[in-house]
Amino acid sequence: MARCDRVRTTLADFVEGSLRGRASARVEAHVRDCADCRAEVAALERTGELLRETGAIPAPSRLWGSIQAEIAGTGSATAIRSLRVLWRGAVAAAALAAALIAVWMVRPPEAPMAVPTVQQVQIDAEFQSTFEGHLSAIWVTPLADEAALGLQMAALGEDG
Amino acid sequence: MNEDIRKLEDLVPQARAGDMGAFEALYQRYQAGIYTFLRGQVREAELAADLTQQTFVRAWESLPGLRDPGAFQSWLHRIALNLVRDEAKSGRARLEVVATDLADEGSGAPPREAVARNPGPEELALSSELRDRVWQALGSVPAEQRAALVMHHMTGMSVTEIARAMKVRPGTVMSRLARGREALRKLLGSYVEAQNGSM
Repeated sequence: MARCDRVRTTLADFVEGSLRGRASARVEAHVRDCADCRAEVAALERTGELLRETGAIPAPSRLWGSIQAEIAGTGSATAIRSLRVLWRGAVAAAALAAALIAVWMVRPPEAPMAVPTVQQVQIDAEFQSTFEGHLSAIWVTPLADEAALGLQMAALGEDG
Repeated sequence: MNEDIRKLEDLVPQARAGDMGAFEALYQRYQAGIYTFLRGQVREAELAADLTQQTFVRAWESLPGLRDPGAFQSWLHRIALNLVRDEAKSGRARLEVVATDLADEGSGAPPREAVARNPGPEELALSSELRDRVWQALGSVPAEQRAALVMHHMTGMSVTEIARAMKVRPGTVMSRLARGREALRKLLGSYVEAQNGSM
């Protein structure tokens, strides 16, 4: 059987129900055979009962009136609550706007437009001229399309 | 679902929407628990009443922030606990209980002289002297243990609810309850000792 002095330190935990498994079983076995510890368990249980019997103390009866008056005295609490919600929304919108402005201000500069080289300008002019000639040819003679393309391909072949 | 919980889950959203009647119903349900908890934490009855009022006013203002209506009681005690801590920092509150007329607040009876003898537990079960003795003893228990004892045994909160209110683990609450009960048992001495120990 476990010694009383060791068991005594755990009796309150035993009564509280916080001992588990073997620890609880060991205390229970000891208490069953030990009148002194059994009396101590009864005293601890009685302590809890006394607290429950003592019970809660009602607040002074005037208190609800004071609470109502204080809530009403701060204006319409509901209106204040609505204003708070609106204020929170306004703050959030302002924060979002500030964040967008900050992002716009610190964005990296756009890449400059590529300046065409002299050779590119020349090729583009040639292409424009060929395209316009080709367009007028297929307008007059739709079958000229393939012929014009063949001429163009031939011209490119000569250039290469 | 528990009927009380269902009603609570109705009352909290109604109060949150500005229904003062619903808030009064919540007040009537929890005022004694909050006032008793505060009487356990501060010495003066007037200060406890003032803090009870502040607790409910702050609860009204903060209701939109309460997500779980089922946690209302824990949340309310959390507000009360924070107010007590603020008072302690300001130096207004003396965080100890020295029972004077505590027993008579509940019963409405006039104050009585301290008991000159130790009658048996049966005789004293409902006496104001015994209540006074319990409150005196509670005043000598460390504050955190006293808070747990009052919430659990006198206002009927579960270990989980107390853990939420005190922002500690349930195991810590169990430990505070055990140590508090142990301390209180020693302070109450013969008041809780039976003639013949039995389980």
